[in-house]
Amino acid sequence: MAEPPPPGPVPAQRHASQPTALRIEAAGFGYRGTTVLWDVELTVGEGRTLALVGPNGAGKSTLIKSVTGLADLVTGSVTVLGRALPKARGLAAYVPQAETLDPDFPVSAADVVLMGRYRRIGWWRPTGRADRDAALAALDRVGLADRASTRFGLLSGGQRQRVLVARAIAAEARLLLLDEPLNGVDATSQERILTALGELTATGTAVVISTHDLAVAARIADQVCVLNGRQWAAGTPGEVLTPEVLREAYGNHAVDLPDGRTMLVET
Amino acid sequence: MTYAYAEAVLAGALAGLIGVQVVLRRLSYFTMALTHATFPGVVAAAILGVSITLGGALAGVLVACGVAALTRRRGQDAAAATGVIVAAGFAIGVGLVALQDGFSRELSSFLVGSIVTTGRQDVVTTAIVLILVAGVLAFFGRGLLFTGFDAAAARSAGYRPGLYDLLLLVTIELVIVTIVPAVGTILALALIVAPAAAARLWSTRLPVVTGLAVTLGMLSGLLGLPLSGLLDIAAGAAITLVAAAFLIASLAARRTS
Repeated sequence: MAEPPPPGPVPAQRHASQPTALRIEAAGFGYRGTTVLWDVELTVGEGRTLALVGPNGAGKSTLIKSVTGLADLVTGSVTVLGRALPKARGLAAYVPQAETLDPDFPVSAADVVLMGRYRRIGWWRPTGRADRDAALAALDRVGLADRASTRFGLLSGGQRQRVLVARAIAAEARLLLLDEPLNGVDATSQERILTALGELTATGTAVVISTHDLAVAARIADQVCVLNGRQWAAGTPGEVLTPEVLREAYGNHAVDLPDGRTMLVET
Repeated sequence: MTYAYAEAVLAGALAGLIGVQVVLRRLSYFTMALTHATFPGVVAAAILGVSITLGGALAGVLVACGVAALTRRRGQDAAAATGVIVAAGFAIGVGLVALQDGFSRELSSFLVGSIVTTGRQDVVTTAIVLILVAGVLAFFGRGLLFTGFDAAAARSAGYRPGLYDLLLLVTIELVIVTIVPAVGTILALALIVAPAAAARLWSTRLPVVTGLAVTLGMLSGLLGLPLSGLLDIAAGAAITLVAAAFLIASLAARRTS
């Protein structure tokens, strides 16, 4: 259950001249030719944050997975940093939900973050000091420098999620794709993750984050996209997170509150 | 007899080495399918008079591709697909054996191995395969680790998890056909899985787990061979018993500590 903030004036934050990190045009996404998400039209500039919101099964994960090559682009086009899919694979860093990973796997937090450096290291070179330093610096950015040698599976759920964000930071990708990174995450970890993402966008990294927490979307995103089987609305949080749009997109799961706000009931 | 000891130790090292990958990726059941599928290949090769290594490898790779194809199809789960293939492969082998008169002695040696008949050539082959597998695991180590731990993120980073899966399956099959003459198709699985599973209980650091698994695999061979003489049982069975004993002892020790 989440509440959007009361509608109010929000400064327009679109910069049409900004270089594009992600451009999605007339796209349909799905699995094995079956489209589950239609009519997506989005542009994310460098240093910008796009939040994907919508009820469970709306297609948020499908959209993110399509950009990484885990789901299919059925129609339309997707361009990552100027290169079209599928050639664009490998340019964006994907942050999965920590709970999808095997906690018994014998890797330390630092090992996991180091994976973000693998592409830079190449096949044949051994892991160098510079890469290890970059991994530790990334762990420090999410407040886990002192847990570097702890086994990944022994960390709390929130800490694991922070490690995965650190891995994406270490990869130095210009586009980050985060699939529900705040689900079941403690308050400290949530703040650490959001702060780290804010620091990244300040240096020009674009962030696409799916969440069902509309308050978080309103707080961190320049642009919010409401999905439910198709793209219902996209724009600034002030334009999109309105009772009208949400009621329409969420269907029966949107409940009007007496004070004029809309409460969403997750099903 | 020296060759038998050398073969037992090398096969143990090889099994322990690949076993870590098998256990990490939870491929024990799949590996069982491979070992069982190797059986009809080995029998068919023996009947046809061609290299049993080649026959076993061919059958194993076929099965690996079959299981991979089945599991990639939506709605098919890996365990069901693998289970059917385990049984079918084994049935084909038994059928082939039944077609041949006076074949039961060879049948037993395919099932549980016959390490005492190992020659110099077998030892050299196992040593070469050991070097090859160690090289593959070292060269592709980072990709195997990344795709094994987090296939989705690895894919987004430009890795091809499917290719790594295939590489690993072929490597596992190579190990199986190499150690089958020593320990047999049925017992190969235990020598692959037990040392790695035991090693994992003692450490959470991958290099340590790997080193320990190789050591336990070698010890299984080294101790299993004299044990087989002592108990008058097949060497493959004795080696497997030692490997299993390491696992059970490790489980008990880690539970009480």
